[in-house]
Amino acid sequence: MVIQKEKKSCGQVVEEWKEFVWNPRTHQFMGRTGTSWAFILLFYLVFYGFLTAMFTLTMWVMLQTVSDHTPKYQDRLATPGLMIRPKTENLDVIVNVSDTESWDQHVQKLNKFLEPYNDSIQAQKNDVCRPGRYYEQPDNGVLNYPKRACQFNRTQLGDCSGIGDPTHYGYSTGQPCVFIKMNRVINFYAGANQSMNVTCVGKRDEDAENLGNFVMFPANGNIDLMYFPYYGKRFHVNYTQPLVAVKFLNVTPNVEVNVECRINAANIATDDERDKFAGRVAFKLRINKT
Amino acid sequence: MGKKTLEIYSVELSGTKDVEQTDKEDGKERYRGLKNCFHSKKDHHTEKLKKELDLDDHKLSIKELEKKYGTNIITGLSSTQAAELLAQNGPNALTPPKETPEIIKFLKQMVGGFSILLWIGAILCWIAYGIQYSMNKSSSLDDVYLGCVLALVVILTGIFAYYQEAKSTNIMSTFNKMIPQQAFVIRDSEKKTIPAEQLVVGDIVEIKGGDRVPADIRLLSAQGCKVDNSSLTGESEPQARSSEFTHDSLLETKNIAFYSTTCLEGTATGMVINTGDRTIIGQIASLASGVGNEKTPIAIEIEHFVHIVAGVAVSIGILFFIIAVSLKYQVLDAIIFLIGIIVANVPEGLLATVTVTLSLTAKRMAKKNCLVKNLEAVETLGSTSIICSDKTGTLTQNRMTVAHLWFDNQIFIADTSEDHSNQVFDQSSGTWASLSKIITLCNRAEFKPGQESVPIMKRIVVGDASETALLKFSEVILGDVMEIRKRNHKVAEIPFNSTNKFQLSIHKTDDPNDKRFLMVMKGAPERILEKCSTIMVNGQEQPLDKSTAEAFHTAYMELGGLGERVLGFCHLYLPADEFPETYTFDVDAINFPTSNLCFVGLLSMIDPPRSTVPDAVTKCRSAGIKVIMVTGDHPITAKAIAKSVGIISANSETVEDIAKRLHIAVEQVNKRDAKAAVVTGAELKDMSPEQLDELLTNYSEIVFARTSPQQKLIIVEGCQRQNAVVAVTGDGVNDSPALKKADIGIAMGIAGSDAAKNAADMVLLDDNFASIVTGVEEGRLIFDNLKKTIAYTLTKNIAELCPFLIYIIVGLPLPIGTITILFIDLGTDIIPSIALAYEKAESDIMNRKPRHKKKDRLVNEQLAIYSYLHIGLIQAVGGFVVYFTVYAQEGFKPNILINLRVEWEDSNVNDLEDSYGQQWTWYQRKYLEWTGYTAFFVGIMVQQIADLIIRKTRRNSIFQQGLFRNKVIWVGIASQIIIALILSYGLGSITALNFTMLRPQYWFVAVPYAILIWVYDEVRKLFIRLYPGSWWEKNMYY
Repeated sequence: MVIQKEKKSCGQVVEEWKEFVWNPRTHQFMGRTGTSWAFILLFYLVFYGFLTAMFTLTMWVMLQTVSDHTPKYQDRLATPGLMIRPKTENLDVIVNVSDTESWDQHVQKLNKFLEPYNDSIQAQKNDVCRPGRYYEQPDNGVLNYPKRACQFNRTQLGDCSGIGDPTHYGYSTGQPCVFIKMNRVINFYAGANQSMNVTCVGKRDEDAENLGNFVMFPANGNIDLMYFPYYGKRFHVNYTQPLVAVKFLNVTPNVEVNVECRINAANIATDDERDKFAGRVAFKLRINKT
Repeated sequence: MGKKTLEIYSVELSGTKDVEQTDKEDGKERYRGLKNCFHSKKDHHTEKLKKELDLDDHKLSIKELEKKYGTNIITGLSSTQAAELLAQNGPNALTPPKETPEIIKFLKQMVGGFSILLWIGAILCWIAYGIQYSMNKSSSLDDVYLGCVLALVVILTGIFAYYQEAKSTNIMSTFNKMIPQQAFVIRDSEKKTIPAEQLVVGDIVEIKGGDRVPADIRLLSAQGCKVDNSSLTGESEPQARSSEFTHDSLLETKNIAFYSTTCLEGTATGMVINTGDRTIIGQIASLASGVGNEKTPIAIEIEHFVHIVAGVAVSIGILFFIIAVSLKYQVLDAIIFLIGIIVANVPEGLLATVTVTLSLTAKRMAKKNCLVKNLEAVETLGSTSIICSDKTGTLTQNRMTVAHLWFDNQIFIADTSEDHSNQVFDQSSGTWASLSKIITLCNRAEFKPGQESVPIMKRIVVGDASETALLKFSEVILGDVMEIRKRNHKVAEIPFNSTNKFQLSIHKTDDPNDKRFLMVMKGAPERILEKCSTIMVNGQEQPLDKSTAEAFHTAYMELGGLGERVLGFCHLYLPADEFPETYTFDVDAINFPTSNLCFVGLLSMIDPPRSTVPDAVTKCRSAGIKVIMVTGDHPITAKAIAKSVGIISANSETVEDIAKRLHIAVEQVNKRDAKAAVVTGAELKDMSPEQLDELLTNYSEIVFARTSPQQKLIIVEGCQRQNAVVAVTGDGVNDSPALKKADIGIAMGIAGSDAAKNAADMVLLDDNFASIVTGVEEGRLIFDNLKKTIAYTLTKNIAELCPFLIYIIVGLPLPIGTITILFIDLGTDIIPSIALAYEKAESDIMNRKPRHKKKDRLVNEQLAIYSYLHIGLIQAVGGFVVYFTVYAQEGFKPNILINLRVEWEDSNVNDLEDSYGQQWTWYQRKYLEWTGYTAFFVGIMVQQIADLIIRKTRRNSIFQQGLFRNKVIWVGIASQIIIALILSYGLGSITALNFTMLRPQYWFVAVPYAILIWVYDEVRKLFIRLYPGSWWEKNMYY
């Protein structure tokens, strides 16, 4: 004895919909009269207008608490990460020696990446600094900017500078250069006043075997203290990030080699289990030769 | 369900069962009703039922019966025979209604409501992982975990709901654990007591007064046996039973006693002819299980609400799936978005909260004597618009009570309240002394011994209802009746029988100087008057002249017109010379005068209304609930009770009343003038459904009298056709179809039979109508509070959903994660939403009309829009402010975040630049993202506190309602804060949960928005109060 549900015919449903969309008796469009629609639109206009204003206001207030020059908190950046160039999709540098196209894109990227390091540009924009010392430019109460940056000349990269290099950073000969850089962190005194350098190893024993010899530029993979501290995009307009180039001389061809480079600095931990890029970088290297 | 056995409640009570003036004629009408019911209700049952009703056992002679059942009335069955039959026919018990298997119930919980959506979410997670895995073997297991978490959520909430339901079912199963009934049976030529369940067809059983008839029995011999068939036929008068075949119909013949009816007095021996489900009662019970159970209104509402939410979730999900695909996202990403949207949209914890809320109310109602069997029924009572109430026991006290006295030409009113304490009528007259003596002495009822400490009105009495009433009446006024009787030794007695219609006894008096015998007599007033020649006025005997006879008749008619049962009393002092002390009275020869007696007075009795009922009926009326009385009683009695409890209000008249007042014929009366109607079962039988509909709509005060309980079903259906939510009270087995059919069946806990309790949704532990009213109040409150709970819960869904939408469209780093959303829905929000169940009513909920089933929805457009598009959006904005604050202060200003998503999530990009030129590794960003989740979470939590506070009321200001009246709300708020603190600071180091330790100041960023929510809602409520009926109220009041 369940109450019988009236099955509506298709026509009825359509009719009901029609009436819902426009009811000629009550002059209702979608269940509301014109005035009602006007009211509701006005209401939402006012309401959302107010809400937007409130949002804007609170965001503005919030942004007042944030300085333009230095971030309020840097707790997440205690350990700068390391990264390689050329930057590839899965951090793997694959070179088919015979296939020019396979490495040409890397070369293009590197050319572009290294352009600001050209000696001429450096000489024009940046200072020659005293190596082995932090290049501090304190504000001392008065804002002191733009701050000067130290020169990092492309020629310092030696065989990997790519200047007048017919081998295209070694890519055409199967001796590729990989550039390593440390993430910028504002006001970070890397190395804690001691010299630091980058070292690379094969990740596992067989990788170490396959990796073969490599040379580093600047020598020993050193990163000089004079490039620190970094004062931020706004202050440190022409800041040039120091690089370390690694040229792999005789990688076993046709094998994937896992390379791990890390920075040896007194105040940079490189053993964070969760963050695989804290003070280190891992990438794959594969030279295909026929 | 446990074993189905006897019901313990009615046994003692049956002694005081209401006795009414019913004549044979009407009895037949009722049976007809019963048969009609068999015919009309279940067609495929009909054939079978008919066949079994055509049993001719009552027509057979004893010899034939012995042959038919292979038994012997002297020796009974042999044990082996009995064992065989028992194995063949099964135990003599009603099969409990078919239970849904537990596993089905459990699975239902697993797929009901939102579960299906969450399953889809979980499966999508696993599919997404499958795709990822096929592309990259080392892909992260995050999606698998999320899928498992979603599945776990479904399973846990399912288990919870199942557990809650099982718990409420358990309350009922305690009812079924009752003492097994014993039957006195002759087997192997021996009389033995065996459990009634083991009875088989052909057993010879003996029953005596007070027993419950253990099976359908053909009586072989009977001595003064009377049974109470009320649970079967609704007939409240005891029915005599003998071994004679008196009627062709099995139901009407005197030589059949039915299973589960009670033997009131006398003894009988009989042969079992039907056992268990094949008994008449068993057949009715199975009929009840055939009546479809209606969905409760709240179940419909929740379904409606689930549809709305699921509709929103699915349509937004699909819309954004399409948007994502057209924005050139990968299908995999689009699937993950879909999961996020589903999880954000579904209020996972809500159904569990609703269950808890309902069971909290159920508990509260149980304290007020309403035991709720079916949790959802809690609310049904609140939406009830018509109550079809029994009279006997529910509206009345279910005991005959002396209501009026007439002596000295005057009507006196006796106190009929529950304790009788206040008897104010004039007791100084000599007539009263004589009358009281007759009442005391001419009475066979006695208190059961050992009840000295029990209040008089509660003592158990052996004897019929009117004698009981008289006994208690005299005990209250005169003191120890048994002592008086002892002093006035009874020497002879003629018990009441239906031919002479009087009862007489002769006593020695307690006056040692008076050696005369006193003969006292009571009976039908006109019969008593016939026997009298004098009448006592003011203690003096006067000749009975015409004018006094006239006065008698007027009084008699007046009392009868009140629906009361009137008894006449007279006495005679037998002259000492004719009847010396040694005289032997012979009651068969009647060697003493029975005429020319002295008439003393009249006493009228009624089953009086419970004192709380009139008030309750008034409350019902102001709450817009129509109370309809449905009773098997005589229309006059029914109407009198209806008037005294207010079901028919003092100034309304029936058509008959108007006709009488205007001295015109009933047909001439304009039916519109009458507000009230008294309809008898016979009239109802001739009505078409349309006529019944008309009756139900046109009259606001209706009494159905002389109805069979089966007609109750017809009345209930009629009410339901008016779109009313109908509550039905009942106690008999035969009420069970109506109880089942009703939107909410209410069984009587004391007088109710098992079948009625089984069929009902609710049991009134004190059988009191007033308890229904408290139930209605609780039901309405819970509806209001559920509305608040749902509004509260739905609000934050938008705050959870918006991040996803913005994430997809604008490409910000994800503001809040799926797991975090689950922690809001199933963590911080649970206790607060339950706390709203403790909210007090905003206004007098008993002063408004019951909600309209179709119009006043639990979740209406206004509620959804206000929650989603107003408060929800404010919350979303507030959440974003916290999120942006965290990112900006860490180095990512809002402008840089736009369209950052792809690089941000790429684990190979480890030198992503922020607004200051710093570079971030993937993990550093991930940690920041989790901080963002935590921040957004805290932002929502803080605003949910404001949301919780504003949801306390829908119309009144919070300050009118009182901020601190509901302490549980504050427990809820504390729980929110504590859970959030634990998640952030306690579990912040567990990366799988994606919570991080949040800087203390971020907890306060959303506070301005929380305040905005509160202020905005106060303004909304203010306008609603200021401009009732305005555009604002129509659009903003939910």
